Amino acid sequence: MKSAFIVLKEQIQYNYLIRRLSVYEMKSKNNDNYLGMTWELINPLFQIAIYWFVFGYGIRQRASVKLTDTFEVPFFYWMLAGMVIWLFFYRSIIEGSKAIYTRIRMLAKMNFPMSIIPNFVVLGRYYIHIGLLLITIVIFNFNGYHLNVYYIQLIYYAFALFAFTFSLSLVMSTLSTIIRDIQMFLQSILRMGLYLSPILWNVDTIANETVNRLIKINPLYYLIEGYRFSLFGLGWHITDYWKQTVAFWIITILLFSFGSYLHVKFRKHFIDYV
Amino acid sequence: MGKTIDLKNISKKYKLYNSSKERIKDLLLPKSYGKDFWALRGVDFTANTGDVIGFIGVNGSGKSTLSNIIAGIVPQTSGEMEVTGEAALIAVASGLKGDLTGRQNIELKCLMLGFTKVEIENMEESIIEFAELEEFIDQPVKTYSSGMKSRLGFAISVTIDPDILIIDEALSVGDKAFAEKSLAKMQEFKARGKTMIFVSHSLGQMKEFCDKVLWLEFGKVKEYGPTEEVIKNYQLFLKEYKKMNKKQREAYRDKMLNQ
Repeated sequence: MKSAFIVLKEQIQYNYLIRRLSVYEMKSKNNDNYLGMTWELINPLFQIAIYWFVFGYGIRQRASVKLTDTFEVPFFYWMLAGMVIWLFFYRSIIEGSKAIYTRIRMLAKMNFPMSIIPNFVVLGRYYIHIGLLLITIVIFNFNGYHLNVYYIQLIYYAFALFAFTFSLSLVMSTLSTIIRDIQMFLQSILRMGLYLSPILWNVDTIANETVNRLIKINPLYYLIEGYRFSLFGLGWHITDYWKQTVAFWIITILLFSFGSYLHVKFRKHFIDYV
Repeated sequence: MGKTIDLKNISKKYKLYNSSKERIKDLLLPKSYGKDFWALRGVDFTANTGDVIGFIGVNGSGKSTLSNIIAGIVPQTSGEMEVTGEAALIAVASGLKGDLTGRQNIELKCLMLGFTKVEIENMEESIIEFAELEEFIDQPVKTYSSGMKSRLGFAISVTIDPDILIIDEALSVGDKAFAEKSLAKMQEFKARGKTMIFVSHSLGQMKEFCDKVLWLEFGKVKEYGPTEEVIKNYQLFLKEYKKMNKKQREAYRDKMLNQ
């Protein structure tokens, strides 16, 4: 628990540093392209376009998704709300887990607050996520799903998404610095993650109670449902499903504490593992 | 004259593994696997404010490890270290990002060292002026020549005004004019009572500049004293060492380590 406070304190104390470094994070990646940072938006949009073409347009047209007894939405919009989260989560975890061992040589000092490294890497991806989310909102509004009072929840879910992704990156960045294989393992697991999360299919179609429940424990499920409730204006997901809210934060706090514990325990010796 | 660097019995161990199997066993099991390599063995070393000290020794004697430990980049395995003030290490490839421009690298590097926005803005101009990069300052660092890179690295490190400056072979890259400018800057630092450490193979530069020399051999302190004296002994040793064949060198090494 003590280490969790140390890490949390560093995040607050070095706030300015995190923000500046996250900007450089994006700049250094896209300096060579003529379109620069725009590519960070173009790439995911292309990806979404492909999913739209495959699942929403013709090739494998999916049935509309029933959200309540009286309310149905076309598959594409339903998927889009989840895909926005997935695109952020996937890239952040991959890059977050590499964060420390690829940058440690650049650091001038051992007393650099290393716990902020996964934070600014994830934050760099987060800007793009916000951009994509805004584009999503525009698409939704042009297609009949208008701005509604439940949009307020989005702020909460966007924050929850960041908290969860950062906590997981903190764990992974330490583990993959010590054992590089974790990185490979993670890539395989994440590829499965897309299908284990309810992004391309509806969980309610699974009849088996236990499997259904297991999938709903997935923190991503909670976040995706939260986004969907807000964007389609279905209701107050936070309180309507308060058990999930509690479960989500327990998982996130446990991850964060575990990540902090590992990080503080090993950070003095990170350089020896490179 | 206070002590700025005080090292007591510093040792640094690296682990050498023959296979990844050994590495994973060492990580997971309590028993130790792999071979220990001691880069430093019980080094005692003190420096006072205003000292200019040279580190010499043949390759692999632990000069870079020692300067990394003093700069706080690498932790020691055992021993006590007390360093008063900020230490900055200048190495040839001192962490510049190739994709960013020189100007961006200046900000990035200063941020990493913990400077605030205002401080960085103030320093930026003098860094650019010192580095003499002209219009290249807004070009990506990967287009720089190695001399330009080390000039930029050097300019950043001297402008941030550390209390202890460690220079690891960095001056050997720049041209004569820049080397002279750097030496002038070093003289200025010396006059202001800063502690400096030179790691170099150029004995000429050392003689010109250092007050004291620390001679490292196989991770141990061989000699530490006034420049003239130590360098004279070192040169004598080098002559002998060059004549030795591989076997004799190994025998010499074993003899030295078992002392």
